[in-house]
Amino acid sequence: MAEGVSRRSFIKTAGLSAAATMGPGMVEVALTVNGAARKVKIDPAATLLETLRVDCNLTGAKEVCDRASCGACSVLVDGKLVCSCMMLALDAQGCAVTTVEGLVGADGKPDAVQAAFIKHDALQCGFCTPGFVIAARALLNVNPKPTLAEIKGALAGNICRCGAYTNIFNAVLEASGQAVVADGG
Amino acid sequence: MATTTPTMNRPMNLGASAADHLDRVDALAKVTGAAKYGRDRYLPGSLFAALIRCPWGSAELLSDNAAEVGKLAGVVEIKISRREGTYHGRDVGYVLADSVVALKRAMNALKLEWKRREVKTRIEDTVKEPPAINEDAKKVLDAAAKKLSAVYSTPVQTHSSLETHGCVVDHRGDSATVYASTQGTFAFRDGLDEALKLKGSDFEIVCEYVGGGFGSKLGGPGKEGLNAARISAARGKPVYLFVNREEEHLDTGNRPSSMTFAELAFENDGTITGGQILTFGGVGVARGGGGCDVPSGRYNFGDLRRAHTDVSFNAGGPRAMRAPGKPQGAFAEELMLDEVALACNVDPLELRMRLARSGNHKEMMKAGAKLIGWANRIPTGTQTGTIRRGMGVGLCSWGLFPARAEGEVVIYRDGSVEARTGTQDIGTGQRTIMGVVAAEAVGINPDEVRCSIGSSKLPVGPGSGGSVTAPNTAPPMRAAALDAKNKLLTIIAKELNVEASALEIVKGEVLRGGQRVMSFKDACQRITGDSITGRSDAAKVDTSGKGHSDGVQFVELSVDTETGVIHLHNVVALQSCGRVLARKTAESQIIGGVIQGLSYALFEQRVLDRVTGAMVNANLESYKILGPKDMPHITPVLWSKGQTKVCSLGEPPVIPTAGAVACAVLNAIGAPVRSLPITPAKVLAALAGVGGKKNEDGGAR
Repeated sequence: MAEGVSRRSFIKTAGLSAAATMGPGMVEVALTVNGAARKVKIDPAATLLETLRVDCNLTGAKEVCDRASCGACSVLVDGKLVCSCMMLALDAQGCAVTTVEGLVGADGKPDAVQAAFIKHDALQCGFCTPGFVIAARALLNVNPKPTLAEIKGALAGNICRCGAYTNIFNAVLEASGQAVVADGG
Repeated sequence: MATTTPTMNRPMNLGASAADHLDRVDALAKVTGAAKYGRDRYLPGSLFAALIRCPWGSAELLSDNAAEVGKLAGVVEIKISRREGTYHGRDVGYVLADSVVALKRAMNALKLEWKRREVKTRIEDTVKEPPAINEDAKKVLDAAAKKLSAVYSTPVQTHSSLETHGCVVDHRGDSATVYASTQGTFAFRDGLDEALKLKGSDFEIVCEYVGGGFGSKLGGPGKEGLNAARISAARGKPVYLFVNREEEHLDTGNRPSSMTFAELAFENDGTITGGQILTFGGVGVARGGGGCDVPSGRYNFGDLRRAHTDVSFNAGGPRAMRAPGKPQGAFAEELMLDEVALACNVDPLELRMRLARSGNHKEMMKAGAKLIGWANRIPTGTQTGTIRRGMGVGLCSWGLFPARAEGEVVIYRDGSVEARTGTQDIGTGQRTIMGVVAAEAVGINPDEVRCSIGSSKLPVGPGSGGSVTAPNTAPPMRAAALDAKNKLLTIIAKELNVEASALEIVKGEVLRGGQRVMSFKDACQRITGDSITGRSDAAKVDTSGKGHSDGVQFVELSVDTETGVIHLHNVVALQSCGRVLARKTAESQIIGGVIQGLSYALFEQRVLDRVTGAMVNANLESYKILGPKDMPHITPVLWSKGQTKVCSLGEPPVIPTAGAVACAVLNAIGAPVRSLPITPAKVLAALAGVGGKKNEDGGAR
């Protein structure tokens, strides 16, 4: 394998010859997703995103760009913000994976970030929303009182095409217990 | 069920609607990942399909290894049905596999040998010289005190819906369910009967959530839907076919490019006496659809000659995109007004106050000028620092168009209420406003109404295009709710031995002469069957189509004259939309329109290789869309005074933004950038043209 080519990019994009020689087909992986242990049979080339969506029926994380340039597939892996389209499910074994579905409390109540997104209408079509919610949660986990500039920076890996950013910033400020950006009278 | 959580950060909009603090009713489903989009429907036993595409602007397929790839594990079928393409992304066949991974592996393994042919990729490949000036226009120009001769151009903008085009078709022999990502539930149904070999009533289009569309998902099932339907019908299995990001850029429509050749005559005070405006639309392989709306009719342009021509070349064709034809026209129009103002040494806002035809626009300009602080605007061409500030302004307008829509409101014995319309919600808040309208007419709170939308089995409704959904679905939904309420009150009136007209429902209580008779829930228990259904009567619903939505936007920015980088600071967007139904979702529509307009102004452009015709930035890292860090502060102002009729809102806020940005850049640097997107390179070139600093080698810095 050439230097600089990751295992993921090699396996994910492997062509005809590799496909024929890659081996035994489906493999069983043990994942811990939203606190629950799951065993699924997957193709070794499956990304974490595909596995969550197709095999775990957790479709909150979305495939939009499939190359880590939009953030729609964001999940937390051991608390760290990860684009799940860029990680093999095999590599997530032994890690704690948290998806947007997993932020909902045991009592069914949404996380503070989710509640603030609802309050400030920080979404329109909603397709990017799970990614933004996860990215915002990842930020607040390490920086409980971010400035507006820090919020913009932390969310810079996410794209919203409908244009909900203004309300997303306010939702993150609200979720961190800070005053939202107000418009004059 | 919806929740109501007050927000007080936009005090000027408080009181705009009857449901100021109502949250979007499907927000909870969207923030928790529970909302199921078409792309989220993985049915047991599904087959996965992808379209094979021509990789060049024009090419002939010489050979393929389909037979070899077809033998790979998991590959079900490879079909190549065409052996040439006349644009990058033209579908020539499909691959079918039994898993996502097998499909990707097969697509990667597929080797196609193409012979490229010569291509055209731009309007300029056909329009090589400025068009001639009409004789009549020449007379006006010859008599003018001052003249402007300028060419304005805009690039192709792709819709870039985050949920790509496609659907899941589950054909079960004598029936089918289609989970579609569409802006037109009923158009999707009407285009699919032949491919499914079923009658429209034998299958259902389900579209509960749509991940964006912006116009590109209006035109029926498209090639994605037709292919999935045919394959599912033939194989009797569910078929999942969603295009990938690259294909979404290439072959699902776009806002066409434009060129505007302006020859304007004007007086010393800026009064425009006429001239000629010729526009060209770049429509790819399409033959039309490239309109460029300038002059818009919002300003007085005097005695003007006007013509438009669409130009074809080797690229994917256009589709309606949020306010089709309008932003490209408004960009040219607003910038030429500022150029006229500069030539006459007149404040561009003052010039607009004189040239604008609508009193509403003038009033909005006055109000917006105060909010942005126009009095602090620095006159154009007077700044010398590295960082220079600029302000710009632009106008928009949108009409009201009729569309067929019906509604149903069901009141159940258990006291619950359901509003039903087949129309989809692409993010506008359609589901929310249906609840608001039904609740108000019945006399209960909006969060007590459940809204069922996005199914071809529900009452017919329009596609989400032209901003027709709210204006056309609100009146029938109101009529249906009133019908249901009257049926309920008739039951109660009989029991009380009074006329139904003597009763009313207010805030969940049945009243007679202002006195409480019983609760709404108690009243519902007197329903004899399971429920009563109120229906709209199409003949009684006002679809006169009269109504207008106006808007004015102000942009404040600064330009770094060393780097050419533009920093956006503030946008004030005033927008009328008739009667506002739900404040929060209405504000979001305005903010979203502005952001798409800013993105169009500064970043977005489809780049085609001029030799091969291939799009070189068909992804989201080099097809740049405005992101969080690029964001200015945006103030959405709902201009709703005294409005009673529901008017359009989705389309107009995207219209004036790019023009206002271009005017602000001119104000800052003293030279116009007449081509979108306004990149740092173009800013530096414009600066160099007006005596900006030069590098030692003579190039612009």
